[in-house]
Amino acid sequence: MLEVRDLHSGYGEAQVLRGVSLEVAPGEIVAVLGRNGMGKTTLIRSIMGLTPPQIRSGSISWRGEGLVGLRPHDIATRKIAIVPQGRRLFPSLTVSEHLTMLKGLRAKSGWTLERVFGLFPRLAERRHHRGGQLSGGERGMLAVGRALMIDPELMLMDEPSEGLAPVMVQHLEGIVLDLKREGLSILLVEQNLYSALAVADRVYVLETGQVVHQANAAELAKQTDVLFARLGVQ
Amino acid sequence: MSAFQLLNGLTYAALLFVVASGFTLIFGLLRIVNLAHGALYLVGGYIGFSIASGTGSFVLGGLGAMAAVAAIGFVLDQGLLRFVGNNELRQVLLTLGFAFVLDDMALVIWGGDSFTVPIPHMLKGGMHVFGVYYPTYRLFVLATGIVVFAGLWLLLNHTRLGALIRAGVDDAEMVEASGVNIRRVFLVTFLLGSALAGLGGLMGGAFLSLYPSADAEILVFSLAIVIIGGRGSLVGVGVGSLLVGLLNTLGQVMFPELAYFVIFGPMALLLAFRPLGLFGRATPA
Repeated sequence: MLEVRDLHSGYGEAQVLRGVSLEVAPGEIVAVLGRNGMGKTTLIRSIMGLTPPQIRSGSISWRGEGLVGLRPHDIATRKIAIVPQGRRLFPSLTVSEHLTMLKGLRAKSGWTLERVFGLFPRLAERRHHRGGQLSGGERGMLAVGRALMIDPELMLMDEPSEGLAPVMVQHLEGIVLDLKREGLSILLVEQNLYSALAVADRVYVLETGQVVHQANAAELAKQTDVLFARLGVQ
Repeated sequence: MSAFQLLNGLTYAALLFVVASGFTLIFGLLRIVNLAHGALYLVGGYIGFSIASGTGSFVLGGLGAMAAVAAIGFVLDQGLLRFVGNNELRQVLLTLGFAFVLDDMALVIWGGDSFTVPIPHMLKGGMHVFGVYYPTYRLFVLATGIVVFAGLWLLLNHTRLGALIRAGVDDAEMVEASGVNIRRVFLVTFLLGSALAGLGGLMGGAFLSLYPSADAEILVFSLAIVIIGGRGSLVGVGVGSLLVGLLNTLGQVMFPELAYFVIFGPMALLLAFRPLGLFGRATPA
């Protein structure tokens, strides 16, 4: 499981995360909610080992092992995958190449090209298209598919609903729940309260770099007004 | 232009392609302004010359030149370039200085005389093509250029390493976050680009001969080719090499006084209207 303890992280002089602590248990979907600029992406990047930001203090441990200071590829090798903000597909690669470029890099992966295409039949139809030629929904699917190919146990998702039509958001929520059934843990950061509530077991609310509220699934439904107040108009 | 001159242009283009394709891997894809590429060509030629004359084997000379220049590229990349990051001005100054050092070391080791790499017996003499009697060796250079083009095209477009190189050029951080040590991928690319300069040195050393300052012309032509073709485009390097090779030959025959202008005049015009070159794309992000 993932344990973030008292994490301070920022860009140059600007401190963004000021002592964030959170946990993701095996098989759990945890949502971190917050408005723009509250540190959501900084949190995801810090866990993945991406710099900037620089981690000032605090610890991130995964299955009992510290991750702070490891390079991103070492962290990915420990079965943590990322679906980044804006998807960040490769314009020069075809859909298939996004999924096969890691092939043979590690021992047998539970996820194969066929399995990802089974989950997203739309991608199979588009397998020879390049990253830049896909619709918003397809881009989201491919970003998830690419992350699955490293055979993750924990998936970090940065605003998966960003820029998607409501029907696509729903489709993606279904996929996230499917992945949970596969045994994946998921940490997703979201501005979209409804989308997060549809899938999350637990929710943290992030405000100016600190966790100001947390609640589990049972409490969630009763607290939407609190969450609304925290997040502003949604 | 006669068939003989046309073949001269084509074979020169093939040599330029081998060198410039290495240059486009480094300058076009990795975005490292490596002004030592010409020096790598020249040193590769000298080393290939020494090995080929010592062992009597042209093939060993080629392999040796590629391996040695890849090793020099390793020192340049890991020992020096990694400390200057993406700062292009620093890259220019560093690699230019490295080129001077290499050139001077070559002067100490091989002296100022000009050398011609001995070519194997079976490539000596000539053969009849397109109605002219033409040196076999230069046709071999043309064939090698085509083989290198095909090999690089397959590598970049149809292998996993090629996909990783292209993905890394698009977004290195995302490749890292997918579990790939992108620095290693880029290092392999740099070494391959260097090795191609070494191979070009051996091949060019057999018909243009090797002498101090032979690196400058090759470097300038490689730059012109990659800029005309578009940074990072293999097809662009192919077309750019053909243009520069043919224009250079044409220029020397028809306007010997203006030979350079025949290449760089059109290049300046092209860049005025297509700043990214013929096949160049805007860099993502």
